[in-house]
Amino acid sequence: MTSLWLKISAALPPNEEQFPLTFSDKVPLSVVEMLKLARKQLYGNTTSASQILNAQIIVDYSWERLNMGTWRDVDKEWRRVYSYGCLFKAVALCRENPLEEEILQAIRTCDMALLMGAAIMENLLQVIVCILQTGIRKLAKEEDNSENIEAKKRRIASPHVGLIKEDLSVPRIKCPSLESFSANHLLPLKPVILEGIIDHWPAFNKHPWSIEYLRSVAGCRTVPVEVGSRYTDEDWSQTLLTVNEFIDKYILNKIPELKEDIRIPDYCCLGEGDEDDITVNAWFGPQGTVSPLHQDPQQNFLAQVVGSKYIRLYSPEDTAKLYPHDSQLLHNTSQVEVENPDAERFPEFVKAPYQECVLQPGDVLFIPVKHWHYVRSLEVSFSVSFWWS
Amino acid sequence: MRWFGFGFNAFTQTYVQEKSGEEDSCSSEREVKVSVPVELHSHALRGRISASWSRTASLFLDQDQCVYLAGFCASISSGSSGPVTVDTSGCKDAIISETHLSLAFPDRIESWDLQSKNEAPSWRMEINTQSENSDLKLPLVPGGYISSKSPVFHSLSSHLQAKSLALGGEHAVLLTVAGAVYTWGQGSHGQLGHGGLVPEEEPRTVEALWGMSMRSVAAGGWHSICIGDGGDLYVWGWNESGQLGLPSRGLRKTSQQKTDPQEEPPSKVSTCLGEELHEEVFISIQAFPALVDVSPPCEIRTVSCGSRHTAAVTTTGCLYTWGWGEYGQLGHQTTTSLDEPQCVEFFSSQNLHVVDVVCGPWNTFTAAVKKEVH
Repeated sequence: MTSLWLKISAALPPNEEQFPLTFSDKVPLSVVEMLKLARKQLYGNTTSASQILNAQIIVDYSWERLNMGTWRDVDKEWRRVYSYGCLFKAVALCRENPLEEEILQAIRTCDMALLMGAAIMENLLQVIVCILQTGIRKLAKEEDNSENIEAKKRRIASPHVGLIKEDLSVPRIKCPSLESFSANHLLPLKPVILEGIIDHWPAFNKHPWSIEYLRSVAGCRTVPVEVGSRYTDEDWSQTLLTVNEFIDKYILNKIPELKEDIRIPDYCCLGEGDEDDITVNAWFGPQGTVSPLHQDPQQNFLAQVVGSKYIRLYSPEDTAKLYPHDSQLLHNTSQVEVENPDAERFPEFVKAPYQECVLQPGDVLFIPVKHWHYVRSLEVSFSVSFWWS
Repeated sequence: MRWFGFGFNAFTQTYVQEKSGEEDSCSSEREVKVSVPVELHSHALRGRISASWSRTASLFLDQDQCVYLAGFCASISSGSSGPVTVDTSGCKDAIISETHLSLAFPDRIESWDLQSKNEAPSWRMEINTQSENSDLKLPLVPGGYISSKSPVFHSLSSHLQAKSLALGGEHAVLLTVAGAVYTWGQGSHGQLGHGGLVPEEEPRTVEALWGMSMRSVAAGGWHSICIGDGGDLYVWGWNESGQLGLPSRGLRKTSQQKTDPQEEPPSKVSTCLGEELHEEVFISIQAFPALVDVSPPCEIRTVSCGSRHTAAVTTTGCLYTWGWGEYGQLGHQTTTSLDEPQCVEFFSSQNLHVVDVVCGPWNTFTAAVKKEVH
């Protein structure tokens, strides 16, 4: 495994002097001292155990700071400190002929920094985690093809005929021009399903997204997982799992490699923000996963890659009939169970007009900003959402 | 009275070396995690201790009347290694944070910036030596309280009749002369005890404790504790490391991973109100005060909170600790975290009767005396 360490060394600055460590005065000198010590040890001869210990101190302290205040308030400096701590830890884990378990732990550490920290040293953590992943892939044996779910097969006829009422269905249009999308849908904020606009994604042809493919490309990576049938339930929670653990536990049976297999829809250029401001999320889950009726503060393109989803849309004009929660945390979420509404508690709900659709692989649904939407996956589903303004 | 320390020691703040002249760098040969209590000074000290993440301030109340600072000492004016002495004749109370040292004198309160070499305090307030507030303990000061972040002084309404104040990570717990408890600050982890997760800008009474008289309060990173008149313990806030002494899912998961990685962790999670359920209940956030049982049953005399751990002293002289233990701050010779109060065997095995406890964020200091045989 020394070749792994050679690659990591090559990615790091050549010496202590060229390793930047500057922080605002929000970070106490005692913490800066620990960081400098970690940097010194990185280029010195201290044992890996001692380096891991020091890195862990930095990680633990900055983790506490990250949990203070609301997420928006957390000072970016503390996220940087957290990233540095994770960097020192991950590198120390791989220093002395690491076993597979140590490399996996280093990958988990990098993932924590990518999830909760801030980018440092020109996204060095991303570079390191890629090196580590190739290290793991070399160690992995060839897996059986038995878990392959066919993503290539795209249905021509909807298997869910009869589920959608014709007069309520979201209109479909094939490859509209930027001008007509803008004039007919974006500006008037009217939902539409765009067909044929993601056929070129490698996720459909070069690297079809299957469970086996996901395992090979991202299996050891850590991702946030929402556990519970709906996020308004009292026992709903979020947890962190590796993709392998998630697949093992929930499917069977924030990763850039997967990002290579998708493309940002051109229509996003009609927005005011930069390409960097577009939030791309991948949603992977079993049949029956429900997102309760809610609204988001940005425009949304929801692209379906694998499996299908039933989606219902309500206009923001009818918000009053949708009984949003009173609380600060959930005021963008409706209290109503869309497919089983309580007519006594929510009498106006049945009067609210809506549109509905079954989103199939290859479809992209345009959900205008603040448009209420409810989603239920009809089978194992993999979608990609693009939030833009 | 002898003081002992255990827990995080990367800055050698948990015990003071007898010999000076060692480098002031945090070398890895030094014990970073002290998991068994170690005596702080070889001679008895009559005073109080306050601890921040990287430093310990020991206040001597005998003829020396000075504050010893141990731990991270770069930038402090003396520039020498080892403990730093700040000349503080007449100082009767001291409290230390990561960035400031606050000192209370009979005629004034001072706050010193520890991050820069200073000849003068960065903040100062004169007090009327005649006033009835003379026995207020920091961070309470006449008219309000002080914190280490600017603004330093915060006023408190006099009708609250503050008796003691505990400042947590981002909240405050106030005990009044009448035995009522008020809280304010951030509430996202249930640390205010009002049943929700919203912040409070002004002191708000903890209604669940109404009618019961409390004798002491403590606050940690995200949790709050108080002792009732009968010596029982009430806890609320975050329980991610078992710091409330209530079952914590995170702890069970890690202990299960160590034994049987295939097993499913028990299913039900109670996030808010700690309802009784038939399956095993885990509490991650306790938003209303809950009673904690220490077994065998006993009366709690004093309690202190670190960032994510808790330490309590009983009237019979036992020290119980629970919560986050990664740095040995629970004193049980391990670095495991606990979600149930456990007695620190060291003191009884040494025939010591524990009388006081003060927690730093990641460490614990206890005062003990030799047990007397009557």
